[in-house]
Amino acid sequence: MPPVFNEKCTACFKCVEICPGDVLREGDGKPKVAYPDECWHCGACMMDCPADAVRLDLPLWMRPVTKRVK
Amino acid sequence: MTKTIKTDVLVIGGGLSGCMAAINAADHGAKVAIMEKSHTERSGAAGTGNDHFWFWDPEIHHRRGWTIPDMVRDISFDGEYGKTKGGLMDQELLEIVAEGTKEAVDNLESWGIQFRYDEIYPWNLQYEAPEGEKRFRIVPQFQSEWDTLNYDGRDIKRRLTEQCLKRGVEIYNRVSGTGLLIVDGKVVGATGVNMRTGEFHVFKAKAVVMATGMDQMRLFRAQSGDWFNSQSPPYITGDGEAMALRAGAEVFILQAGKSRNAGFQYFRNLSRSSGTATTCYPAGRFVNSEGEVMIRHPAVREPLRKRREEVERSIAEGKTPFYLDLTDASEEEIRYVEWSYGHEGLCWVILEIMKDLGLDFRKDAFELELEPTGKLSGGFLALYIDTDCHTNLPGLYACSPVQFAGEVAAPTYVVLGWRSGEKAAEYAQEAAEPTLDAKQVESEERRVTAPLNAEDGHPWQEVNKEINNIMEEYKGYVAGWNLPREDAEVSRAGLENCIAQLEKLKAAEMKAEDPHELVRCNEVMNLIDIGIMMVKAALEPEQHERGIWFLGRQVEGEPEFRKTPIVIKYPSKGDA
Ligand SMILES: Cc1cc2nc3c(=O)[nH]c(=O)nc-3n(C[C@H](O)[C@H](O)[C@H](O)COP(=O)(O)OP(=O)(O)OC[C@H]3O[C@@H](n4cnc5c(N)ncnc54)[C@H](O)[C@@H]3O)c2cc1C
Ligand code: SF4
Ligand code: SF4
Repeated sequence: MPPVFNEKCTACFKCVEICPGDVLREGDGKPKVAYPDECWHCGACMMDCPADAVRLDLPLWMRPVTKRVK
Repeated sequence: MTKTIKTDVLVIGGGLSGCMAAINAADHGAKVAIMEKSHTERSGAAGTGNDHFWFWDPEIHHRRGWTIPDMVRDISFDGEYGKTKGGLMDQELLEIVAEGTKEAVDNLESWGIQFRYDEIYPWNLQYEAPEGEKRFRIVPQFQSEWDTLNYDGRDIKRRLTEQCLKRGVEIYNRVSGTGLLIVDGKVVGATGVNMRTGEFHVFKAKAVVMATGMDQMRLFRAQSGDWFNSQSPPYITGDGEAMALRAGAEVFILQAGKSRNAGFQYFRNLSRSSGTATTCYPAGRFVNSEGEVMIRHPAVREPLRKRREEVERSIAEGKTPFYLDLTDASEEEIRYVEWSYGHEGLCWVILEIMKDLGLDFRKDAFELELEPTGKLSGGFLALYIDTDCHTNLPGLYACSPVQFAGEVAAPTYVVLGWRSGEKAAEYAQEAAEPTLDAKQVESEERRVTAPLNAEDGHPWQEVNKEINNIMEEYKGYVAGWNLPREDAEVSRAGLENCIAQLEKLKAAEMKAEDPHELVRCNEVMNLIDIGIMMVKAALEPEQHERGIWFLGRQVEGEPEFRKTPIVIKYPSKGDA
């Protein structure tokens, strides 16, 4: 699902600045996901966050299907 | 609310090619502005990085007996990859690209992107370098020669943005280009709208470079049913092509493609980078459900084409699905894969998510999607340029998308971007001060902002879905050209009906709740214009099949691919 912002967020809004999909907006003390359906799950918000405050999960239909071999 | 900006060269789209164009135009003395829909630091197909780069190095490759024409022939015809291309690639442009790659690497290196390393590995090309000098990590990718660099390109867009700003290039982020301005047949600027503020922008420019990217995303139905689960950015919706079409530019069109290789695609569910096919060098093995190896590694040494019998036997014996299995690789190989994967666009985040999900290349095999033979893909439309990157419209240059030279990916756009910047700056130097046509600007503003001002109308998603439905019909009919005569008539009638449906959709009113949605509405309007053009081209005579592509109707034998594009003027009366 679109990014989740944890308590480490310093509200610098770098993620809002760079999100390629224009999905994020400045919210109250942290970013808000304004257009959740349009998230590309590209990870740019997570990559550029200076505070390690972003986690991104994938919706079920994007999760890799795997098999434990070892 | 209108903002007017005056510049010498306007670049529309600040992706890889657009940033290169802007930098070089500035280096040639021009005042430059970039209009970018998202944000140049992370926008476009290379937004979260690139990890490989096709190149020709006079030192390395010449010594190995490979010339530029050899490289171009290999990638277009002779090599494993070339064989699937049916000679469609533009040879002249590709030679220019190959020739420019080493300079591009040198430039990118000087801007802080690491291409050379103290350590190279046994699976990299072993070549002589002066004592103590770092070396490139060169691998064979799809071609016969070792001609591809693995490198750390994760922040390539940030470095390019820095170089633009250093040269005084004005970057207008979040401003989406909507139309070209033409006076006396010359391109004199463009308009755009800010997707956060709604402010309408008018750029007055002596020359314009179109660099809005290679795709018409969301024109066809998404493979996974989710438009935003895509390899290329789902926000690249053919805006540049539509703007150029409306201005009367010549375009290059490929109709639907048909897969022949039954190739392995992405990880199942995840329309991500081609990482499975490329990045997992040197250790990626494709196995069937019994763990039997189909392909030991996916690069050129063992092309799928040659192993297809084995894949087909596995399917017949029910030994499916197929997996990417690295579990037998050495730790050193896995680390290399992770290093490379971490720089490939969209893949760094997969490594992060794998941690959260407890997945590990050392332990887990990843299910792959197997593309069925004969599967139809959507068509492709691009601007048509000469070797100076000039379109047929005076003042309009383009570097992306352009006629089929793009299969070597980033190098094409880096080099053609660079070239178009130089040529546009030279043109701007000679060009007179442009004057705008106020009426044209006004009517363009009305057209573009209509969905925001509409009382009522369809949301963009609704119209986009209907475009997908119509284009699915189109795909079927284009493939139908292969059928006997009577069916060809059915296809013709079907295609004509697709045009009628798209025209009707074009007249439907849309409603945007905010400036962000306004840009999505404009994307959808552009997709309709592109769809109409693609279907009309399918109705033109003299079309045929090359490589994996239909260029419309198949004719007897295999005619030479002619470089002449199908020219249809906008608005089209249906005449060629
Ligand atoms: C996940 C992924 C990984 C890749 N990895 C590699 C690799 O390792 N090696 C390689 O050679 N190639 C790779 N490629 C391909 C390579 O990234 C592209 O070929 C390259 O980025 C194309 O450059 P471009 O300038 O044509 O388009 P892009 O870089 O996509 O730039 C287009 C720009 O135009 C902007 N834009 C679009 N519409 C508008 C508008 N209306 N107004 C204003 N701006 C607009 C976009 O926001 C974007 O910034 C990869 C591609 C993807 C998707
Ligand atoms: S970049 Fe990180 S710290 Fe800054 S606003 Fe976003 S989540 Fe918060
Ligand atoms: S994952 Fe990409 S598209 Fe989604 S919110 Fe983050 S930066 Fe934006």
